[in-house]
Amino acid sequence: MLSNFCDGLDRREFVRVGTVGGLSLASLLRAQAAELTPKRDVNCIFIFTLGGMPQHDMWDFKPDAPAEIRGDFQAIPTNVPGVQLTDLLPKTAQVMDKLAILRGMTHGDSDHGRGYHIMMTGMTPGPGDFNSTKNNNVHPSIGSMVARMASGGGALPPYISAPCFLRSGGPAFLGASYAPFVIDADPASPEFTVQDIVLPTGITDERSLRRQEALRAINRFERKVADLGKDVQSLDTFYQKAYSLMTSAKAKEAFDIRREKESLRNDYGMTSLGQCCLLSRRLVEAGCRFVSIENGHWDTHRENTKSLRDLLVPSVDRAIPALLRDLEARGLLDSTLVVIATEFGRTPRINVMAGRDHWPNAFSIVMAGGGIKGGNVIGATDKIGAAVTDRPVTPPDMAATILSMLGIDPDTVLHTPLGRPVPLALGGKPVTELI
Amino acid sequence: MRRDLQRHRNCRGICRLICIVILLVHSARASDPSVESLIVEPTAIVLHGTSPQQILVTCKHRDGRLIDVTREAEFSVDDAAVASAAGTKLRGTGDGTTVLTARFGGHEARVPVRVKSIADVPPVHFVNDIVPILSKLGCNSGGCHGKASGQNGFKLSVFGFDPEADHAAILKEGRGRRVQPSNPERSLILLKPTAQVPHGGGRRMSVDSLDHQLMLEWVRQGTPLGRDDAPHVIALRASPAERVMGLQSSQQILATVEFSDGSLRDVTHAAAYTSNSGIAAEVDAQGLVRTGRVPGEAAITVQYMGQVGVTRVLVPRPAALTKPTEWPANNDVDRLVWAKLQKMQIAPSGLSDDSTYLRRLFLDTIGTLPKPDEVRAFLADTLADKRSRAIDAVLARDEYADYWSLQWADILLLNRDKLGDRGAFEFHRWLHEQFTRNRPYNEWVRELIVASGRSDEHGPVNFYRAVRTPDQLAESVSQAFLGVRVQCAQCHHHPFEKWSQSDFYGMAGFFNGLERKPVKTAADAKVELVYHAGYRETRMPLTDTLVPTRPLGVAEASPVRSDARLVGHDDPRMQLADWLTAPNNPWFARLVANRLWKHFLGRGLVEPEDDLRSTNPATNEPLLDWLTQQVVENRYDLKAVMRLILKSRVYQLTADPNDTNRDDEQNFSHHYIRRLSAEVMLDAISEVTGSPEPFPGRPRGTRAIELWDNRLPSYFLDTFGRSERTSPCECGRSGEPTMAQALHLMNAPEVSSKVANSTGRVARLLRTSPPITDAAMIEELTLVALGRLPTEKELRVAQALFASTTRRDAAEDYLWTLLNSYDFLFVR
Repeated sequence: MLSNFCDGLDRREFVRVGTVGGLSLASLLRAQAAELTPKRDVNCIFIFTLGGMPQHDMWDFKPDAPAEIRGDFQAIPTNVPGVQLTDLLPKTAQVMDKLAILRGMTHGDSDHGRGYHIMMTGMTPGPGDFNSTKNNNVHPSIGSMVARMASGGGALPPYISAPCFLRSGGPAFLGASYAPFVIDADPASPEFTVQDIVLPTGITDERSLRRQEALRAINRFERKVADLGKDVQSLDTFYQKAYSLMTSAKAKEAFDIRREKESLRNDYGMTSLGQCCLLSRRLVEAGCRFVSIENGHWDTHRENTKSLRDLLVPSVDRAIPALLRDLEARGLLDSTLVVIATEFGRTPRINVMAGRDHWPNAFSIVMAGGGIKGGNVIGATDKIGAAVTDRPVTPPDMAATILSMLGIDPDTVLHTPLGRPVPLALGGKPVTELI
Repeated sequence: MRRDLQRHRNCRGICRLICIVILLVHSARASDPSVESLIVEPTAIVLHGTSPQQILVTCKHRDGRLIDVTREAEFSVDDAAVASAAGTKLRGTGDGTTVLTARFGGHEARVPVRVKSIADVPPVHFVNDIVPILSKLGCNSGGCHGKASGQNGFKLSVFGFDPEADHAAILKEGRGRRVQPSNPERSLILLKPTAQVPHGGGRRMSVDSLDHQLMLEWVRQGTPLGRDDAPHVIALRASPAERVMGLQSSQQILATVEFSDGSLRDVTHAAAYTSNSGIAAEVDAQGLVRTGRVPGEAAITVQYMGQVGVTRVLVPRPAALTKPTEWPANNDVDRLVWAKLQKMQIAPSGLSDDSTYLRRLFLDTIGTLPKPDEVRAFLADTLADKRSRAIDAVLARDEYADYWSLQWADILLLNRDKLGDRGAFEFHRWLHEQFTRNRPYNEWVRELIVASGRSDEHGPVNFYRAVRTPDQLAESVSQAFLGVRVQCAQCHHHPFEKWSQSDFYGMAGFFNGLERKPVKTAADAKVELVYHAGYRETRMPLTDTLVPTRPLGVAEASPVRSDARLVGHDDPRMQLADWLTAPNNPWFARLVANRLWKHFLGRGLVEPEDDLRSTNPATNEPLLDWLTQQVVENRYDLKAVMRLILKSRVYQLTADPNDTNRDDEQNFSHHYIRRLSAEVMLDAISEVTGSPEPFPGRPRGTRAIELWDNRLPSYFLDTFGRSERTSPCECGRSGEPTMAQALHLMNAPEVSSKVANSTGRVARLLRTSPPITDAAMIEELTLVALGRLPTEKELRVAQALFASTTRRDAAEDYLWTLLNSYDFLFVR
């Protein structure tokens, strides 16, 4: 029977076919996409700077533009000759050899909620099918796709969010089983605990063991769970997973950020972002496949310079180099893709309130690790950073890139409950220049 | 090549096959005594040109079984100059008449054949001939070139809804390489799908296929769009309509379409086939159905040119029921379910015991656990009609309205984010009143459909505030009250149904002119006045053509058509409400019957429950028909219909499967276990622990099922999947288990503090005077959580706990264990 899926052809098969006849550009790109597929499990730490990260002041500085566009910062060299960042990012400049900057990100939507959805899922919602309520994904988030498609994870959930539920991080039609496990607490806080993974106050290990034994006796020995139907079976599986998480020292330790040396915690910075990054490293080290981190308050409509300099960028400039160095020291950098994304960029021209407004037409995102080529700047914008002049990258391209690097075919077609076939990355093409 | 093409293309096998005539000839040879006759379809064949006609040969056995022997039968034609049999197809070779003979098992059947116009080469018609190929091969599907962005630069309209755009895309885009008139074979439109050049979608057809020949001929003829007045397809018939098949057997489908000029054409090899259950039966591109290794049923959908047909396949268990099964029936629900089970050779499970039944009845009907005293009284009742009396008592309870307003609030998108506090509250209050009064379903839906007024005064107008555009209302009303998912047709022809864009915008027209005016009040800024400003014309955005306002499925020329009767300031919603709630509406009563069935039995007769269409048939059509009829005959009194379901033996079956029904998920041979829904579970935990959940701004003791505000912060309700109320289907509510649920039940401080609450159930039981015994404590806790007395196993487990620690700790540990046990978390 003919496959209902678009992609009837085996990927490797295709590469072979493609090299026999004349290669079109599209087929060449597809062949290269196959090469993006890693040899081992690659995990992802996906950092979302919520509000809109300004490309001019960080990743795509325009030293020759007029002051009202250039802004208040200066260019500084990095450890990669010819690549400059702004003086907001002195520490990051020293790990530029591990970073790839994609300066050609572009989509057309300047609404926060929709931009969030677009950049978490690769999909632009239609006019009627999106509102800003919680967990209202129209398309699955990339993390949910990974949870659905990837194996592994061990005792840990495959997809974890911190320090809150990311509003566009839901599973959409994939269903609740692929929703993130949410750490609803700030790991920088002294009282940090992960919801429900440790025993409630006053319940000793001994008492818990007694309870678990009683529960197993009642739940599992009276009848075959298989005879009780699918829902019982699947809750039974989750009870077992939950129990192995509660009792797996390794898994539970992964959440226990206090086990890190104080000096390393300080390297990351005792900020929400810094400690979320450190926690993420612990989680991917213990087998989690995708961690998403939200870092808020980037919507600098007023006092852009002051907000960036005093509040926002220092935590990034501290956390990112610490994370990359730490991953490298542990031999995890090549198997951990780090992404810094945002809803959209900010306007080239500084407004009357000394702020920058929303700019989805051209902005930058950053990737590192996971086997990408560091010191790499892909794409370019015009002289005021308003339009992409080279190598545009769309949100579906971004999704396809991340999925490919994690070993998931971005053209995989899944079906909604209505039976509508939906490709994961909606036709996006991986950015092959990254490798 | 040209000749083959002509064969493929030209068939107007005019076959008078409306009634099947049995052509039976007793053979002189020794015939299989179990065979009664051979049936050949079509019963008369007329071939235009050389295109083939699929033959279907069915062997009718004396025991009534019908077996497809198309592939085993031998064919011969009296006059080879007129026609010849090739495989299971007949092809014309010259003008004239002859007779086709099919032989099998010593029997034979003869069918008259007439061939005409053998020499004609008909013009290829893009819409009638090429678009069906693009659909069949999946080229224009939503996953490929049909998606909004196209695929690799080539974009087709999804499912071919816009043939002119597709024609232009093939001819004018792609720098003209898609068709090459000078060298037709080198056209990309032919090289790509045959994978002669690299194609992302792989090889979709072979070079020697009929599809390829037809497309090549189309290029040779100069890629015509085709004449506007060419006959178009108006109906599709799939034969057989239903067939009982054995395991690992096969059945050929015969697909025939009728054209607007009355002619018929065999499209068996051109139609697209899909099975809704690949495990039970698969179907190939030629319409050959193959059953698998396990019993079950499948609906095979046959599609051609926007028309759909269905062949239903039943695969009974191969081993017939050996033990005589008794089939006592309380009412027609039982008789109709038993009839299906007998067909499938499945025996039902036994009746559930009293306590399981009572807990199920309470939770399903009023979302509330029975109290220990109620359980004890029910167990002690020795009268034969006690279940029947329990049904009446439960239906009369106050919680009935709480629980059913919650169910409908989900469907009607009662969402505080969109309605504001006052709007959501008034809408909920109105819904609650409808269920308190048990107002007939058709009456309250009518009131909702025609609602006008202020959102803070007249609850149902809020329905028009959550959903705000005519397009979205066409979708919501169709899905919520008709179970018709017409939204696909907003942009393209429905892929599995007859709905087109004019059907969609015909419905939207009723809401065109609906106005919402802000009303200034001191208390709530979100108050609106909702009213209909009167009928106005509706245009389809894609074509900018006028479309008549008309209910779904009502022909444009029908007197029911709304705008034919509308004048001036009429509110067209009146006509919509008349049509919607009329007893002969094909979906209105049927949908609510299916919803009720699913609510109580755990699975709809149609699944998803709000997706009623001919290509998604009920697993038990006679039962759904009967329930629909009961809704109408009981004048839309939903409690009366519930009573019929609740009194049936089918509803009372245990969840424990037997050897014949373990894998049955469609025929209600045993009860399907479901997890308690979010609100019901939270209430149950509060009740069992004796520790009410505090809700901000609500009086102590307020239950989750009473809440009108689905946005009240609650980690528990979010984790257990309360409805988001953002889409008009019950799929917004998630009953899916997650790891967070298991962790929350085991470890959450919120749950733990309820168990150990100093004024909670355990604490109160420990304070009773005279002191309660361990045994009485164990019994009481089990009764309140599970609605039954403890089993031997539970007693031993509980006694072991009491023996190992303090009474208080032991009682709390046992209660914790009960709250995490499947007998608590699920309705059994």
